[in-house]
Amino acid sequence: MISKNLTAASTKPLILGILKQGNCYGYLIIKKIKEMSGGTMAWSDGMLYPVLHRLAKEGYIQSNWEMAENGRPRKYYQITESGKQELQAEREQWLKVHSLLDALWEVKPSS
Amino acid sequence: MFNLEKAIKSWLKSFRKHRAFNTGAIREMELHLRDHIDDLVHEGFDEKAAFERAVSSFGDIKPMAKEAYWSQRPKAGKNSLINTTMLKNYLKITVRNFWKHKFYTFVNVLGLTVGLTTVFMIGLFVNDELMFDKFHEHKDELYRVVENQYYDGQPVFPVAVTPIALGPSLYEEFPEIINFTRATQENFQFEQDGRKQSERSGYMVDEGFFDMFSFPVINGSVEGFRDKINTLVLTRNLAEKYFPDTDPIGKTIILNGKSHVVDAVVENVPKNSHLFFTYLVNYQRFLTERPERANNWNSNSLYTYVQLNKGASLEAINEKVIGQIKKNNESSATDIYLQPVTNIYLGEVDFVVEVSRKGEMIYVQIFSIVAIFILLISCINFMNLSTARASKRAKEVGLRKTIGAQRGQLIFQFLSESVLLSMIAVVLSVFLIALLLPSFNLLTNKEFVFTELFLADSSLKMAVGIVLVAFITGLFAGSYPAVFLSATKPISTLNAQSITVKQGAGLRKVLVIFQFVISIVLIIGTMMVYKQLNYIQNVDLGYEKDNIIYTSAPGEQSEVLATELRNQPGVVDVGLSSSHPGYVMSSTSGFVWPNQNPDENILIHYMSMDHRYMDAMKMNILEGRGFLPTDSAVLIINEKAKEVMGLENPVGLTMTARGERRIVGVVKDFNFKSIHTPIEPMVIILRKNLNRVYIKYAPEYEDRIAATVQSTWQEIFPEREINYYFLDQDFQEMYDAEKRTSLLSTCFAVLAIIISCLGLFGLVSYAMEQRLKEIGIRKALGASVGNLFVLLTGDFTKLVFISLVISVPISWFAINGWLENFAYHITISWWVFVVSAIAAMGITLLTVSYQSIKASRTNPVKALRHE
Repeated sequence: MISKNLTAASTKPLILGILKQGNCYGYLIIKKIKEMSGGTMAWSDGMLYPVLHRLAKEGYIQSNWEMAENGRPRKYYQITESGKQELQAEREQWLKVHSLLDALWEVKPSS
Repeated sequence: MFNLEKAIKSWLKSFRKHRAFNTGAIREMELHLRDHIDDLVHEGFDEKAAFERAVSSFGDIKPMAKEAYWSQRPKAGKNSLINTTMLKNYLKITVRNFWKHKFYTFVNVLGLTVGLTTVFMIGLFVNDELMFDKFHEHKDELYRVVENQYYDGQPVFPVAVTPIALGPSLYEEFPEIINFTRATQENFQFEQDGRKQSERSGYMVDEGFFDMFSFPVINGSVEGFRDKINTLVLTRNLAEKYFPDTDPIGKTIILNGKSHVVDAVVENVPKNSHLFFTYLVNYQRFLTERPERANNWNSNSLYTYVQLNKGASLEAINEKVIGQIKKNNESSATDIYLQPVTNIYLGEVDFVVEVSRKGEMIYVQIFSIVAIFILLISCINFMNLSTARASKRAKEVGLRKTIGAQRGQLIFQFLSESVLLSMIAVVLSVFLIALLLPSFNLLTNKEFVFTELFLADSSLKMAVGIVLVAFITGLFAGSYPAVFLSATKPISTLNAQSITVKQGAGLRKVLVIFQFVISIVLIIGTMMVYKQLNYIQNVDLGYEKDNIIYTSAPGEQSEVLATELRNQPGVVDVGLSSSHPGYVMSSTSGFVWPNQNPDENILIHYMSMDHRYMDAMKMNILEGRGFLPTDSAVLIINEKAKEVMGLENPVGLTMTARGERRIVGVVKDFNFKSIHTPIEPMVIILRKNLNRVYIKYAPEYEDRIAATVQSTWQEIFPEREINYYFLDQDFQEMYDAEKRTSLLSTCFAVLAIIISCLGLFGLVSYAMEQRLKEIGIRKALGASVGNLFVLLTGDFTKLVFISLVISVPISWFAINGWLENFAYHITISWWVFVVSAIAAMGITLLTVSYQSIKASRTNPVKALRHE
């Protein structure tokens, strides 16, 4: 299981990343994350919504209600231009961390 | 049996407990749960298990709410009260409201504009008064030496002039005093190219004058002033008068027959300097002519100014110098102390021989208070109209509250409306000031220039001040309406049970009463000021001031002039004297009379005149006789002197006053100082060769008398130019301050009553609007126009009546306090109150009746048709 802190830290790039692939509503986002992580991320579903609302407020995503085929309304989220830029920035940061850790772990301990 | 819908509903309830979730968010989460349950059911779970699993997977609500609250919490100042979208909306609604209710907007803006204009103008006046003598660089170290003289049986006698020897002795003995100057006014005769002219406002000063006071030298130099006995310093204007085309420096002008060299030109003396001069002469010039005077400690003849070391303590130095005159003159009963120069103009002590530029702190205070009151009246108008018309806004408030407006936001909205209104009023009042400034200058004897107000160094301070005053006014005026309106309960406004005009009516009444109390006090005050002014202008001075023209001639030739003038047509009589009849300042405690109590030290004023003077001035002899041409070594005393000296039958007694003299008569008391001071004991000595010539003329010669005097003068003094004055004009000037006060208080009273009535008019108009149906029904049931008029005006006249009752004692106390400034004053008469009451009632009725009559004449059909 991925720790709570790390999960929390990665929420933003995860959501933005999913939305970059296409518009999505809350339940679907959770479902995708769970599928992709193979259930290793300790998310409680409800915690997604405050994050979504915050991202909307910050202008990274926007939302609109649509009617689904089963007659149930759904609030779809869509990434904005500034959201895309933010995702790029996040990506670079994560890659840096990744390469740093990678480099650290590649080095064999000196004998 | 498990009911999914019920379970979901109760789960949703727990969300509603938290403020962080709005309806949209809750709906979104509900749909999430439903989707999840559907999926789980699809996977084979039963409804109950699916629900439980979905809820557990959704997680605990509390941390969610916390997270949502923190991420959505409005950031202070950005999204709470002041939100750009809402601001735009407020502005839109405000402008719409202003436009929709043009009449009330007009009443409010007009009231506030007049109020603010008054405050700004009075602010200018007060600021100018308070800034007197503050332009000197060393203002905090400059002091004038003044005296307190003590005489038996008389109050302390404060004197602003001091002995000649005082200044140098203080400077030499006390190291804290780093500079001094004497200053005495002297009018010299200027002679240039054979033309002679007496120039007023000359001062003889010591060298220290230039170091102490900041009168900048703009041409030449004052260096070595002390040793240049015949140096002359001109102000810019006088330099331009005598040397219009040339550089005055180094040029010569003859002053009183002696050559003087212009060494420097200084800038014109600013209007807010208590010392006013047009030229300066070295005091040493006088001392070289009269060297024996340098050590004089007996007579007080000039102003002494000193400069203290920075940081020197005034109390400490005052303790040291207090006995300086007594130390040098054993017979003296005089203490001295230092008076800050910045305190001279508005100082409270009425010094004898004070400079001519003297203000009155009491007027500064009265005007400040009145200005604030007038602003208050206009703020009250705003409050009353806004709260009275609250019902018009109640629906808006209700709706705003229903869709989530907090009380703070509503208060902010209403306050921003009133501030906006007040800002509009400020802009208008600035225009009004530009328009009124010339008249205001006339009224206050100031020289404000509109463009300079905004160009001067302090313009930024002033602009900030104006905006600040407007802002505070807006906040103040809007405070009560904002709180009142925002308190409206949405349920009552949307329930068709709108707010009635009755709400807040109690406070409105109190405010209207307050307005009218101020207005009525001002009306009564103005009437009293007028009465008093009229009284002092017509009070029996003990002599006739009308139809007198006077001039000064060289003593030895004044008799020739007087004789020649007596032969001229229109001249009734000519008398000579040593002093102006309304300004006798010479006094001494050195006279001796029979049976005088040797322990008593009594100050007695004295003047000299010839044997014709009393006749010319129409003074009355009560005992004995007036002077005769054959008299010598005689004197006349006034009633007060007879009383103070304790002489039963003074005529025939001999006393020592400038030599042994016989008392030949007692003259009826006459005012020889301002009407502010009571009459003091006086001795009149018969002398010849006096330089002041007083000419009584027949009233029908008013237009020609000046020409007659001038031509006679030309025959005797062909090389001299004449300066002549009319005595009654001097008195006009003497009471200038009172006259200005009465004019200003009239303006204030008129303004106050106009603004109050404006507010009342607005209130009445609104009340009539509200009561239109009531009036309709009453009319339908048979009420006459008269009945309705009484009914409708009754409410408001009641308020004015209460105001009257309150304002009478207030104005009585205020007027009494002001009248105490005068030694001779009117008694407060009851009819002034009656007239004021009638005036106030009349004005109110006039204000109220237009709307009342209009309302009571309305066709009831029209009023009732709406239903």
